[in-house]
Amino acid sequence: MNLSLPENKRLRFLRWFDFRSGRLGMIAYILNRVTAIGLVVYLYLHLAVLSILAGGPAQWDAFVQIARSPLFLTLDVILLAGILIHGLNGLRIALTGFGVGVRGQKPLFVAFMLVAAVALIAGALKIFAG
Amino acid sequence: MALNVTLKIFRYRPNQPARCDTFDVTVPDAANVLDAIEQAWDKHDRDLMFRHACHHASCGTCAVRINGREKLPCIAPVRDYLDGGKPITIEPLRNFPIVGDLVVDVTGLFQRQEATGFVITRPTEDSLDGKRVDHTQCLAPASAAIVPFNRFENCVECGICLSACPTMAADDKFFGPAGLAAIQREVDKTDDPNARARLLDLADDEQGVWRCHSAWECTEACPQNVNPAEAIMDLRKQITARRFKKLFAR
Repeated sequence: MNLSLPENKRLRFLRWFDFRSGRLGMIAYILNRVTAIGLVVYLYLHLAVLSILAGGPAQWDAFVQIARSPLFLTLDVILLAGILIHGLNGLRIALTGFGVGVRGQKPLFVAFMLVAAVALIAGALKIFAG
Repeated sequence: MALNVTLKIFRYRPNQPARCDTFDVTVPDAANVLDAIEQAWDKHDRDLMFRHACHHASCGTCAVRINGREKLPCIAPVRDYLDGGKPITIEPLRNFPIVGDLVVDVTGLFQRQEATGFVITRPTEDSLDGKRVDHTQCLAPASAAIVPFNRFENCVECGICLSACPTMAADDKFFGPAGLAAIQREVDKTDDPNARARLLDLADDEQGVWRCHSAWECTEACPQNVNPAEAIMDLRKQITARRFKKLFAR
């Protein structure tokens, strides 16, 4: 007998983003997933961009012009945010997995995100300063 | 003083569309949400399905979600949910098959607990005057042999941690916080190296501690301070240490 509500199993991953609890751990969990998906998409995008090299110097120079546009630089800042959040949050998870900072996982998350914010601001200034 | 509250309760029967019904109930000022649910059943709809037993957070039977968060309604005061006349939303636990209305099938939880092969009992607490009996004075000298096998548990097997866990939501094969916390407690209390190895193997499974993605929702939601997330981290530490030992023993 099927007791439960019918559901689309392919869409179950959407429950990763169930934000109803609104607690810090869940925020960290969702951030890790969003940034992970973003970084995977970026990886393929990066490979696609590199394939422009096969088109010769003229095509590459044209792309570099686009890459210097404010819109593209903003995307670079978003990429940096993803790397910092995912990397530092991953470090927090690894540390707690080794028994370090288990009781202080919330302050650890806040501290790492503050580090991420400072590094992001410095990185963004550097990116836009050229 | 009496409180007038509106309950918005999830309703479901197999092969019928799910819906929410609202019930206006009046309960005493000191009432808990479970009392309000019982009022709804008593005064409005005797078909309403919900579970309860002890009314004091001992049995874990009544666990539901109140305004989206997993709670034991038997110890959740109604006055904590008075929000300008807004209804209190009551839904069944997540990540379990729904039997009907607020009742879920918790068999999966008990099967996971059973896999660790232990019996759950509650710890004694300090007496009201803050004193604790030194058991070695009562049982010595036999107590020295008994102590390692006499650790008690807080878990009431309510299923709240499985409902709150986002990994569980996406993968129902995951062993889950309650089961992994149970393994950690067993590892902690056994002196038998074979039993310890078996339990760590169980936790080291593909669906064990490594499937957890550290959202800490289980610990946040647990009404009994079992702290499953910390238990999972402890198991990870022990499993990692065991792997390192194996690596350098070669």
